[in-house]
Amino acid sequence: MKVFMKPIEMIAWFTLDGCPRPIRFRMLQPDHSSLVVKVDRIVDQKEEKLAGNRMMVFICQSIIEGVQRIYELKYEISTCKWFLYKL
Amino acid sequence: MPKSNRIIFHIDVNSAYLSWEAVYRLQHGSSVDLRTIPSVIGGDVTSRHGIVLAKSIPAKKYKIQTGETLYSARMKCPNLVVIPPRYYLYMQCSNEMVRILREYSPSIQRYSIDEVFMDFSNMEPHFGDPVKAAHEIKDRIRAELGFTVNIGISTNKLLAKMASEFEKPDKVHTLFPEEIPAKLWPLPVEELFMIGRATAPKLYKRGIFTVGQLAALDPNVLRQWLKSYGIMIWNFANGYEDSPVRDDGIPMKGLGNSNTLAFDVEDAQTAHRVLLSLTETTAMRLRDAKKCAGVVSVSMTDKDFHTYSHQGKLDVPTDCTDAIYQKARELFDEAWQGEPLRRMGIRLTQLCSNDFFQLSFFVKNTEKHRALDAAVDKIRLKYGSRAIFRSSFLYSGISPCMGGVLEEEDYPMMSSIL
Repeated sequence: MKVFMKPIEMIAWFTLDGCPRPIRFRMLQPDHSSLVVKVDRIVDQKEEKLAGNRMMVFICQSIIEGVQRIYELKYEISTCKWFLYKL
Repeated sequence: MPKSNRIIFHIDVNSAYLSWEAVYRLQHGSSVDLRTIPSVIGGDVTSRHGIVLAKSIPAKKYKIQTGETLYSARMKCPNLVVIPPRYYLYMQCSNEMVRILREYSPSIQRYSIDEVFMDFSNMEPHFGDPVKAAHEIKDRIRAELGFTVNIGISTNKLLAKMASEFEKPDKVHTLFPEEIPAKLWPLPVEELFMIGRATAPKLYKRGIFTVGQLAALDPNVLRQWLKSYGIMIWNFANGYEDSPVRDDGIPMKGLGNSNTLAFDVEDAQTAHRVLLSLTETTAMRLRDAKKCAGVVSVSMTDKDFHTYSHQGKLDVPTDCTDAIYQKARELFDEAWQGEPLRRMGIRLTQLCSNDFFQLSFFVKNTEKHRALDAAVDKIRLKYGSRAIFRSSFLYSGISPCMGGVLEEEDYPMMSSIL
């Protein structure tokens, strides 16, 4: 997996405990087209507090352009931003 | 509890500003770890805050020192990476570290943004051997927060602080009284806390080069020579120090703000404006602390970095911006020789409480001024420091509220008092 840390647009739902669950996201491709990815499975999730900055990390699985891939999403709590961290 | 049974930890973040920035960048997907390349945190050169605030260990190998100018640092290492400071991040990292430490002891003193004293006395039943606990704390901070710390363990704050300085980074050291001859005394005398560039040459002249040599001196000789300071450093050299871990901080003796200006101040009018701007923020802090000041002091640094100051007593203690500014301006006019100034500061001391203090027949009634100050403070607190300011700052190019590193929070600054 390669580190991207690319901001993405996200549709997510939140559990009663306030935990976000990613459903579907859209990212801009280098050729300015956008790619929509449906999150098929959340394999694992953890919270990190590096530098005191809280982020939720989701390891997910999806079919991207016909290939099943594992990747990591990050949700930065202080800014409410979603990132495609690793793909 | 006898003092000798105390166990004190001193937790010191390794190259604090730099490693915090490095971790933040790694978290945001940066491919380089700033800690592994020659890099420094430095101020903005264009506004002349261009000094090195923190350096990475590879930058240290180029003999770059904290406090030197970015210009000379770049001369030593042409491919140096310079990163501007981000104080809110430092505050956040420091707060998070203290939150972890609070799980281990209720008695914690934030000595500065990156240094913390922790009283670990009688905690063995809960967390086991102090050295093991220190390793656990250090490893937890590294795993959870991503930066490394040094922990010094001893029976008092001074020895714990000396211990945390030994070998960096990511280490735990002990310096118990019985280890002093082996670990503390061989060190060069300037390594000792409170011995700086002014005292070290004085000591060298008398043939004192190591902490051990200082400790072996007769304290009476030192008292005659350096007065009470001599006794203090002799005590420190012998590892004698018994101040408590102050969880509520040191009682404030004074407060002040200063600012390095983007340009040299050459005329009195501009200088007065800068003073007023500094007074605005300082007086606001004074009122926030619910104090009145009895003494005002102004300091000036000219373009050759020569610093001098002048202080004067107010007739009656006050917390009123106008009264403080008037006094500051008087003092400034008395002291200033007309040379270009690069840095100006104001400091208020002899603090007393602001609800009960001496009044005088001979000063103007300040009731109205105090009401005005209170209203202005409230507006600034609610809508930001620029929400309301004096019209004399319009088009002057001078910020109406100067000084301080963070606007919202109280930033713990370093002190010489343990």
